[in-house]
Amino acid sequence: MAKFLEDARILSNMNFAPDLWSLRLQAPRMAAAIKPGQFVKIDLGESGHILRRPLSVYQADLKAGEIELLYQVVGSGTRLMSAWRPGETRSLLGPLGMPWPVPEGTRRALLIGGGIGTAPLALLDQQLKADPAITVTMVQAAQTAERLVARGFFERTVDTWLCATDDGSAGACGLITVPLEELLATQHFDVAYVCGPEVMQAPVARLCAQHGLRCYVSLERRMACGIGACAGCVVKTTSGLKGVCMLGPIFDAEEVCWDDNVASRVR
Amino acid sequence: MTMSPHESADDKRGTGTVLSDMRVMIGSLTLANPILTASGTFAAGREYSDFVDLTRLGATTTKGVSAVPWEGNPGRRLDETASGMLNSIGLQNPGMEHFVRYDLAWLRDNAPELPVIVNVVGHRVPEYTAVIEYLEQAEGIAAYELNVSCPNVDAGGMAIGVDPAAAAKVTSACRALTKRPLIVKLTPNVTDITEVARAVEGAGADAVSLINTILGLSIDAHSRKLIFERAVAGLSGPAIKPVALRMVYEVARATDIPVIGMGGAATGTDVVEFMLAGATAVALGTANFTNPQATTDALDELIRYCEQQGVSAVTELIGAVRPAS
Repeated sequence: MAKFLEDARILSNMNFAPDLWSLRLQAPRMAAAIKPGQFVKIDLGESGHILRRPLSVYQADLKAGEIELLYQVVGSGTRLMSAWRPGETRSLLGPLGMPWPVPEGTRRALLIGGGIGTAPLALLDQQLKADPAITVTMVQAAQTAERLVARGFFERTVDTWLCATDDGSAGACGLITVPLEELLATQHFDVAYVCGPEVMQAPVARLCAQHGLRCYVSLERRMACGIGACAGCVVKTTSGLKGVCMLGPIFDAEEVCWDDNVASRVR
Repeated sequence: MTMSPHESADDKRGTGTVLSDMRVMIGSLTLANPILTASGTFAAGREYSDFVDLTRLGATTTKGVSAVPWEGNPGRRLDETASGMLNSIGLQNPGMEHFVRYDLAWLRDNAPELPVIVNVVGHRVPEYTAVIEYLEQAEGIAAYELNVSCPNVDAGGMAIGVDPAAAAKVTSACRALTKRPLIVKLTPNVTDITEVARAVEGAGADAVSLINTILGLSIDAHSRKLIFERAVAGLSGPAIKPVALRMVYEVARATDIPVIGMGGAATGTDVVEFMLAGATAVALGTANFTNPQATTDALDELIRYCEQQGVSAVTELIGAVRPAS
């Protein structure tokens, strides 16, 4: 689990929906080391921005030595990233954080993704599908149909795929909790994996708890070091403050103090 | 990337000999080179051991250690700014007993040659002295750094460091308890930093370190809200280097004790500049976040600088800056 720095060459940087980008990197060491749920921090390569940006890994191709990251342009750092060109090199730090846990005896897994946060569920999906005994159901949500991140990949690979969009342009119209509630009322799952905005994760975690379903969430915080030294990325849990970078980003939803955490998010 | 313990810096450079003497002295403490880590950016070293051969550092300064565990500040703790960052951590730490049992023990087992400077925090004088009294029983501590300059706690910290008399009082109280070198870390959030520096020198400090973070504030225009629950936070990173250099320059001229320079230092060239301004040693802080091996990269660059510039002892650089014309 040693962490390392790797200079990664940009293979492509493509805009696939408004504000949403895919960044492919030649990074053979990282591609081999990263586990589903872990993340990397990428140097913006520009002295005005001193903090590396934490990004989850969407795909890792061992054979080609490539990784793919999906990101949304939300501020000046990600805007800078969107101008990156193939052939340029950026420094990667990783692999960071703990991977998604897969409880012993898991047979029916439920993936729940919102917006760009859906990306880190892809590697988990691959890991789960490598076990023929496991079936994977997915509920994905986004503002619009075109923002259903990696929809093609998930539709192809999971056993059952459902979606919800804010504008009704695909699947159920409205919040993800609507199709999810129906699903949980009629079907049994062994474990749920959730990634997306915290305003979505909190009600989803509550719903899972009501159905007695074990639920893991992937949280994000602004980070400085990414390696457990600065105490900048803490979340409130039932056993005190925990750093997202080392003890997360995956948490058991039951240990997250949702009200405190969601309230403390500025945007 | 990290060298095995039996290798030395010389082996890595392939020269087999050290051309420049990199040793510096902080009070009675001799350091193998002037590169240190700034408190709060390097934990107690372990987190960086995948990236840095800790034994190559001049010393490491630990995160602030308090008598009892501190939870730190609620809400958001970080915000990147132009060439810098604001933090509002609030000195979260598990307390002195945990520090000795886990962090100090780890350092003694894994980097026994590395001098460890323990950063000590408190709200009031008796809390600082309680930590010193406790740590006096522990082995493997090279020096103490009294943090009287953290802007992110309500009492103690900067409230002490902005008042020369209060800073002198906590310094002399701790001085009475230890023979180990005592460093006092100063805040830049004062009108005249040399006043506080002279006050702690008079109270028995062996060295001063500066600067801690500069008070700043962050606002989100869209939500029209403050970013931090305490409103203010501490600014660090390359953005503050010119301020830090100026204050190191002033304090080095106003006192007779060694100055440990810090505040935006990120490279070997930065280390040279701080030393020319008057620093005996230089700590890298926020730079560790950008590049986890910033310290050893800076050391390699400093060694190259000394060799190229014909500097036979790095101490020649201390305060050696010349006028512009």
